[in-house]
Amino acid sequence: MKLTGRAVSAGVAEGLVLASHQPMSFLGGVDRESGVVTDGTSDLRGEAVAGKALVFPHGKGSTVGSYVLFGLAKRGRGPAAIVNERTEAIVATGAILGEIPLVDGIDVSLLRTGDRAIVDGRAGAVEVPGVVERPVVTAFLRNRGRVLVVKRSERVGTFRGMWSGISGYLEGRESPVRRARQELREETGITGAHLRARGPVIRTRGDAVIFAIHPFLFDVSARRVRLDWENVEARWVAPKEIAKLPTVPRLADALASVLAGR
Amino acid sequence: MRLSQRQKQLRDHGTAAERTAMRLLIALGEIYEADRLIPITSAHVAGASYKMVGDPGLEFIEDFAAGARVVVPTTVNPLGMDLDRWREQKITHDFAAKQERIARAYRRMGVRESFSCTPYLIGNRPRFGDHVAWAESSAVCFANSVLGARTNREGGPAALAASVAGVTPNYGFHLDEGRRATMIVDVRARLRGHRFSLAGLLAGRRASGGVPYFRGVRGTETDLKWLCASIASTGDTAMFHIERGTPEWRRARLKGLPRTRITERDLAEIEREFTTGEDADIIGLGSPQLSSEELVEISRLMEKNRPRIPVWVFTSRPVRDEARRAVDTIESFGGKVFVDTCLEVTMIENVSKTVATPSGKGAVYLPTLCGQKVVLGDVARLFRRYAA
Repeated sequence: MKLTGRAVSAGVAEGLVLASHQPMSFLGGVDRESGVVTDGTSDLRGEAVAGKALVFPHGKGSTVGSYVLFGLAKRGRGPAAIVNERTEAIVATGAILGEIPLVDGIDVSLLRTGDRAIVDGRAGAVEVPGVVERPVVTAFLRNRGRVLVVKRSERVGTFRGMWSGISGYLEGRESPVRRARQELREETGITGAHLRARGPVIRTRGDAVIFAIHPFLFDVSARRVRLDWENVEARWVAPKEIAKLPTVPRLADALASVLAGR
Repeated sequence: MRLSQRQKQLRDHGTAAERTAMRLLIALGEIYEADRLIPITSAHVAGASYKMVGDPGLEFIEDFAAGARVVVPTTVNPLGMDLDRWREQKITHDFAAKQERIARAYRRMGVRESFSCTPYLIGNRPRFGDHVAWAESSAVCFANSVLGARTNREGGPAALAASVAGVTPNYGFHLDEGRRATMIVDVRARLRGHRFSLAGLLAGRRASGGVPYFRGVRGTETDLKWLCASIASTGDTAMFHIERGTPEWRRARLKGLPRTRITERDLAEIEREFTTGEDADIIGLGSPQLSSEELVEISRLMEKNRPRIPVWVFTSRPVRDEARRAVDTIESFGGKVFVDTCLEVTMIENVSKTVATPSGKGAVYLPTLCGQKVVLGDVARLFRRYAA
């Protein structure tokens, strides 16, 4: 799996991912001799950044943090590479001075601690060899303001018992919209749906896969649905109710993107 | 970002320091969506006080200095101590030794040993429309607002890189669009002296990073120095306009801007808010460093009200030498005039727990950087209050 972003600091390095969900401060947040995270509020507290592909949303705190990062790199205690959602000047400066490859513009929620990552600071890409991308379609059916969600059966391969749109894997080079229509036919028996919107691809992390979701919105004239073995229950809900259901990852985001794109 | 042949040459085949500098400037340019690197006429770098940058900063500066040479006139911010009189400041030998190494490293690069936060008072004074790369938030604000020069709020390494490469990324305050007002501030109070600091504290907070446009303000260059220092301390403000007062006020574009008002009551309130102490151990004057006119004023105040607590005055070497008589007077009444350093980047915590100061910037940073309580007030009032 290859994620593309923006090159900030050149060089290529490989390392095991150490991922944080929080902004990171290097001055006072990381011990400048050992490279161990000391910030009591960090989800990486006690971890050593040395040699790791350090993943976090963005930097924060004092500009002296740039010097700390430089110093860590100089004594071999710095991260092998850095991946950010949105790099700011403190981390960018430290990475460049310390010659640490840095790529930003990456959705850091797709990377997990323990992944092996190759960070290419020239091309602006992050390669994660152990993780594959699975493209999927998710189709939302709409009728008079309500949207169809279905509860996945115990016989499907993933996300059993969770609420979802009508979805399925994309095979080979087939067109996503054709696959979406086919899934509609198979899972609901509906054939005359009218395509209203398609959203941008949304990615979400599974165990060793990243799902690349292609979202679609169809209008239908009736609410009658004939389920197949893949789902056990169907409900027509108002869009805002989706947040309250146990759903597959990022279902609300996928729906919001097609409703906004109309 | 588009790079010229010469810039590419410097990036790929320059000295190690030039290559690092170019890499840094290009990356920052990409982050801030600059279209190119533009030549600068001067630089002012920060990150010189050992107290502020510590061992990580010392290590970087020595490393970088080994092969670097500035190509434009470059001044540098205050150190953590007076290079001659650090013992009187109760600075330890270890601190002093490391501080001297930082000063030496800058000297080796060809940086002028200004050790000043007021470079514009001592010969690094950009002209209207000059592009420069300055760190030190108060000086940045002064260059943009009062002089009409153009600079972003650079970090220490970025300003240093610009001084070595002679260029800076073209974005933000280098562009006309970046210099437009974002808020109108109607001042309904008489601003003079210390009140410029108070108004700055308020406006910085309300404009939070934007460009305030003041109405009802008239001040000397010294007054505006204090306004700059305060406004840059409570917000990220790098520039303001004053109607009929600063060089670019006609270009501010006011249509549709939000408004705010500063009243006498607001000023009194903000002074109370930043007054966290009661009995000061010391009067601290600086942040930014004083001008020669201000040194003369202080010498007169001290003659009139001989203080019962120590008075530490911070200025730059050239200004001290220019105002020798005033300095001698201040010292003869027990004051100390230190150079090369300033109020909160030195170790004032070695001698004090509560500082009395008229500086709004000091009131912001003394608590966090020096663990001090603050008595914020007009300088004449402070001298009367602490008279023997």
